Amino acid sequence: MNKIGEAILASGKRLKYVITDNPPRGGMKYTYFAPDKSYVIQFFNDPSKVDFNTRSRIEAIIGKYNPTLPESRGGSLGNDDKLAAYFEKRFCWPTDIVVSPEFGLVSPAYPSNFFFDSSASQLLDLKGKDKKSNWFTSKNRKYLNKSELGDFRSMLQMSLLLSRSIRRLHQAGLAHSDLSNNNVLIDPKSGNCVVIDIDSLVVPGLYPPEVAGTRGYIAPEVLATMELPRTDPRRKIPGSTTDLHALAVLIYEYLFLRHPLIGPKIFSTVSAEEDDFLGLGPQALFIENPDDTSNRPSNLKVTVKDLGPEMEKLFMRAFVDGLHNPALRPSAMEWERGIVHAWDLLHKCSNPDCSSKWFVLHDVNNPVCPFCGTKIADKEIVRLTLNSEVRGHKGQWRRLSELDAVNNTPLFKWHTHSNIFPDEKADLTMQAYICRHNNEWFLINSHAEGLLSPQGNPVPQGQAIRLTDGTVFRASRDDRGTLINVKIISV
Amino acid sequence: MSDFARRLPVYLLLDVSGSMAGDPIEAVKHGVRALISELRGDPQALETAYLSVITFNSSARQVSPLTELMLFQEPQLHAGGATSLGAALHLLTECIQREVRKSTETQKGDWKPLVFILTDGAPTDDWRGAAAELKATKPANIIACAAGSGADTTVLKEITECVLLMNNLSAGDLSQFFAWVSSSVKLSSKSLDSKPGANIELPPPPQGFVIVP
Repeated sequence: MNKIGEAILASGKRLKYVITDNPPRGGMKYTYFAPDKSYVIQFFNDPSKVDFNTRSRIEAIIGKYNPTLPESRGGSLGNDDKLAAYFEKRFCWPTDIVVSPEFGLVSPAYPSNFFFDSSASQLLDLKGKDKKSNWFTSKNRKYLNKSELGDFRSMLQMSLLLSRSIRRLHQAGLAHSDLSNNNVLIDPKSGNCVVIDIDSLVVPGLYPPEVAGTRGYIAPEVLATMELPRTDPRRKIPGSTTDLHALAVLIYEYLFLRHPLIGPKIFSTVSAEEDDFLGLGPQALFIENPDDTSNRPSNLKVTVKDLGPEMEKLFMRAFVDGLHNPALRPSAMEWERGIVHAWDLLHKCSNPDCSSKWFVLHDVNNPVCPFCGTKIADKEIVRLTLNSEVRGHKGQWRRLSELDAVNNTPLFKWHTHSNIFPDEKADLTMQAYICRHNNEWFLINSHAEGLLSPQGNPVPQGQAIRLTDGTVFRASRDDRGTLINVKIISV
Repeated sequence: MSDFARRLPVYLLLDVSGSMAGDPIEAVKHGVRALISELRGDPQALETAYLSVITFNSSARQVSPLTELMLFQEPQLHAGGATSLGAALHLLTECIQREVRKSTETQKGDWKPLVFILTDGAPTDDWRGAAAELKATKPANIIACAAGSGADTTVLKEITECVLLMNNLSAGDLSQFFAWVSSSVKLSSKSLDSKPGANIELPPPPQGFVIVP
């Protein structure tokens, strides 16, 4: 019954697509699929709004701002094949412009792990539906099979990948401008996410797109001023600081499975619409605001405090200090850093039935899973504190972060060097690992150059350092090599 | 998100008068079934939309009370009798009064309900009072669809500004209508974008349907 359409691309290439009644429709565009589903063709709901500005913006997005294409093939400056391949997995970036039958876009189809298969739910037929994040972060979660839900660690991993993707956009001066649960597909099972709907990006120097945004993710200042004319200087339009609001909302939802602003407080009794407008816009209030608890649900069990002081601080900046003051919101890179540090303190919950399975052990005096209340089974916590030398002050060290080790915990270059960060360029070669042998702890050098013993002697590859409470050693004699303090805490 | 999520009440007012007997009523049943299955596959709709079905022939009856999608039971529909649109509108007002949560000091109110009316004939009862009241108090966003040439669009215009006309009562058109209802509900549950008093956004009507000016 379905008709086949043919799109002519700007490159002259022709592509077929299946015309369906009621195609999937977003706020701006609707989508048709390729006969073999390998790509999608999208047209605008209102073609009359596609003007010169839209076209030049989309050309720039597909070309010189494209992080999924190496520079050698017209992609963004400095992008090599490896980085392009990395970001190709993280974004569903449009690849071409459709010129006929009307202006539109070609994008690759999402990888298959972002579609449910028939085993996703016993109660619903979800086969072939895309994995929008609110399947996993709302009450819909209960309709999915446990095998789909992932755990706290996979949610933390997705938070990291998403922060990295947004940082990559912002680093190039781009902003997504409509980040939301609809525009980030997640696969908690594998801990992966992909950012979609790239065409409404804000591109430096070009006229910004007209996006309304999505309820729950629109920054409060955008919502509060959206009725003002576009030319009014008080009107706030989407950009990187509003992305940072949406990013924080998404991370909060992934980690806590609830929305950070939607709580019990009634903002208006006039109508649901006005109540909502005030509660997400001009009067938005974090449900965990420590000074004003009027929006706090009575049954909050796990809170931002349970992620450790660094993550807590980031959330406070996002939803207390920065909620109505965009300049104070944490950058995507700060989220990356905070999440990496939280990652290093992950512990496996000893309760086999715990739905979160992992938690951040930030308080060694209370090593209890906040999700299920179970104490860790380990007898000891091995905590390495990583310090970096203060520049220009030889011998002065500053605490950088902490890493909890169990048997086989690996150390990477970002642990042995303070100037290396685990980003998309990171070297994933294990430098050293922790080993428990005959009730003693050791650090075994596998690939590290310049590892020093506590006495300051070189430790060649294949050799080990014995770790006891109070051991201090240099992970690398390099300038930016870290100094590691070992604490072994009995539980 | 679950505890404080607002509901989007959706009311279907379906004409089950004698003229709907046979293929049309089968197509309506099929359409309702398809609608439920579509909406259950959309996470936002599944989370927010609640559905009720009111049928009308010689009288009006709420065959399905406002129910969340996962618990919704498909109603038994039988065609026969007259077209008591007035009674259906009265019942709608009553159901909205009773079922839709109001915003109060202690309770988060529901979103303004979405109402879809499907009728193929001219009302046989007194409908004016109920229509005027709905139009004046606007307790819901109402979309009326006149099915086939026998339907009276001027009556529907008295109820709401938003009236669609579909060519005939064919299974194809009816199934398109329900598919469009599902797109409308999906779009509404997504783009509840907090502009108090703003008009709701609806997807373009299916091919062959015309908007009655």
